[in-house]
Amino acid sequence: MSSPKASTRTKAAAKAADVKSGARKPVAAKAKSAKAAAKPSLKEASTKKAPAQVDPSPAQKAAFLKAMAAGVKLDSAASRALVKKKGSPFAATQEAVNAPAPAPKVEVLRRIPAPAAIIDTPESKTALALAALIEKAIDSGDLGKVQPHAQQALVAALCKLYAAHAEAGERFNILGQRSATVAATDVMVVCGALLKAVDLQVFELGMWQSWSSG
Amino acid sequence: MAEQFVGKASEFKDGERQIIRIGEDEIGVFRHQGEFYAYSNFCLHQGGPACEGLTIARVIEPLREDKTSMGLHFSETDMNFVCPWHGYEYDMKTGAHIADPRVKLRKYDIVRKGDEVYVVA
Repeated sequence: MSSPKASTRTKAAAKAADVKSGARKPVAAKAKSAKAAAKPSLKEASTKKAPAQVDPSPAQKAAFLKAMAAGVKLDSAASRALVKKKGSPFAATQEAVNAPAPAPKVEVLRRIPAPAAIIDTPESKTALALAALIEKAIDSGDLGKVQPHAQQALVAALCKLYAAHAEAGERFNILGQRSATVAATDVMVVCGALLKAVDLQVFELGMWQSWSSG
Repeated sequence: MAEQFVGKASEFKDGERQIIRIGEDEIGVFRHQGEFYAYSNFCLHQGGPACEGLTIARVIEPLREDKTSMGLHFSETDMNFVCPWHGYEYDMKTGAHIADPRVKLRKYDIVRKGDEVYVVA
């Protein structure tokens, strides 16, 4: 009769003998050997040829360029780099961008006529010469050149002339562009003097203006 | 920059103006004392129609030797045009603002070919 200790020893010895002979393999060892079989060795990898590259068809190339062009800003360095050869769809787009822009058209918006021509009558010419003479006298500082009686005659004549024109419906700016050369103080001094000369008060002028269109 | 035909000089009276549009530019073309001038119609102040206002001789104030004023007068040589919005005044020959000559309207070159007038824009 054998002891239980002796039987366990014989079982372990038999297991070890199986492993040695390859009849029985532990699970971890099985997985390792499977991996080794699937993976080529370094030598094999270096000698193995990669599958041959197939050139894309012209249609595929065109589709690729179109897709690229869609995301690239035209006339940029990137777009210029994309244009490899003429005839590609992108080259056509780029050519359209590079083409000279059509000349803009001239559109006449408004035509502003020249100011109305001045009709020079002999009397107007004389009046202009007199005005220039008076201005020259003021510039020289010699105010005595045009004596008061002459000024009175001129102012009276001009008052009548302007009023006659206004009554005839020919209203115009009394100073015109020359208003730029007459000081507001000068105007107030002259207006006040004119009112005083004919014994009018400022409120009477106000009433006149409120009643009439003057 | 290309030459754009504006009109015939013979149909452009002295003192007359034309406001034209070339692309996005609005330009005022003047004829003054036989010469043509073209400026941008956008006032440098607030973008008003600078070339469509009054044309007026420059107001000058000569001084005596003692530096007292001889009064205000119209210049016999210089002409200005005034923006109708706020009165910015520009020199007809240069497009420079009267008070501050550093401020200038954009000037366009004028080319005359016989009777034809072109603006370079």
